[in-house]
Amino acid sequence: MVAAAERIWLGELINAFAFIGAGGHHAGRDFFGGYCCFNDVAIAIERLREMHGVRRVAILDTDAHHGDGTRDIYRDDPAVLHVCLCGSDYASADGTKVDVAVYRRCLEAGARSDEVYLEAAEAALAARAGTFCPDLLVWYFGFDGHRGDYGDLGLTAACYNGLVGLTLALSGQVCGGRLLVVLGGGSRADLASSLIPPIIARLADAAR
Amino acid sequence: MSSERPNLMPRTGIFYHPSFSRRSYLTVGRRLAAFPDALGDLLALPQVVLFEAQPVSDELLLKVHTADLIREVAKDPL
Repeated sequence: MVAAAERIWLGELINAFAFIGAGGHHAGRDFFGGYCCFNDVAIAIERLREMHGVRRVAILDTDAHHGDGTRDIYRDDPAVLHVCLCGSDYASADGTKVDVAVYRRCLEAGARSDEVYLEAAEAALAARAGTFCPDLLVWYFGFDGHRGDYGDLGLTAACYNGLVGLTLALSGQVCGGRLLVVLGGGSRADLASSLIPPIIARLADAAR
Repeated sequence: MSSERPNLMPRTGIFYHPSFSRRSYLTVGRRLAAFPDALGDLLALPQVVLFEAQPVSDELLLKVHTADLIREVAKDPL
């Protein structure tokens, strides 16, 4: 993940997908849990800052659960925009830390949960990313919110297809297409095999 | 990985390590058992390159995490 971020920043890649062996977004500065050990996204950000002078990074966290570790590390850092779709609503005074409550909305939406989730993601991120002007966009992609996985929000492949479209479009608008997709939660092998390749295919199509 | 192809820009990188398919802490299971084969023809695309993920240094970890956390992770039975 660190190498992926560096290669994107150096222009050797336009975008990337990073598989993981352990999760990252529940690892804070001095705590870990929820199947996360080290905060991979934060480690990559610190590497970019130290070695390459990168300052501003936007993170869209669509893992089913709140990215509490990432929030802990960057709570007081206005150069990191952290938009997390989770179970409660919150916005920091400076607007760079945002939580969007999607659990109830998806439950009530039933068969329209994909549409509702996508609308929430776009509404939370699009305008903020445009104002924030990040150097890099990171999409923390968990598929645990897919129907039948442990964070079931009723989502389907259509939602993840929409999310990769959203992040590709936004990265193109605000940071030269620099997009890093990082695998987060999700437990089912069948879902991993059916959901991940189409996302990478969209990244590759954008990089042609 | 051996599929790096120079001089084809711009490109999409895939960062992966075989250990991710053998055992995943995230699920204490094998959710990525089918990879990288599940990527199929994507790996043959000229703009796609597969990299093997590498470990980072403790020095870099310490820029984000405390030394106590690193020690506790090392002791974690999972």
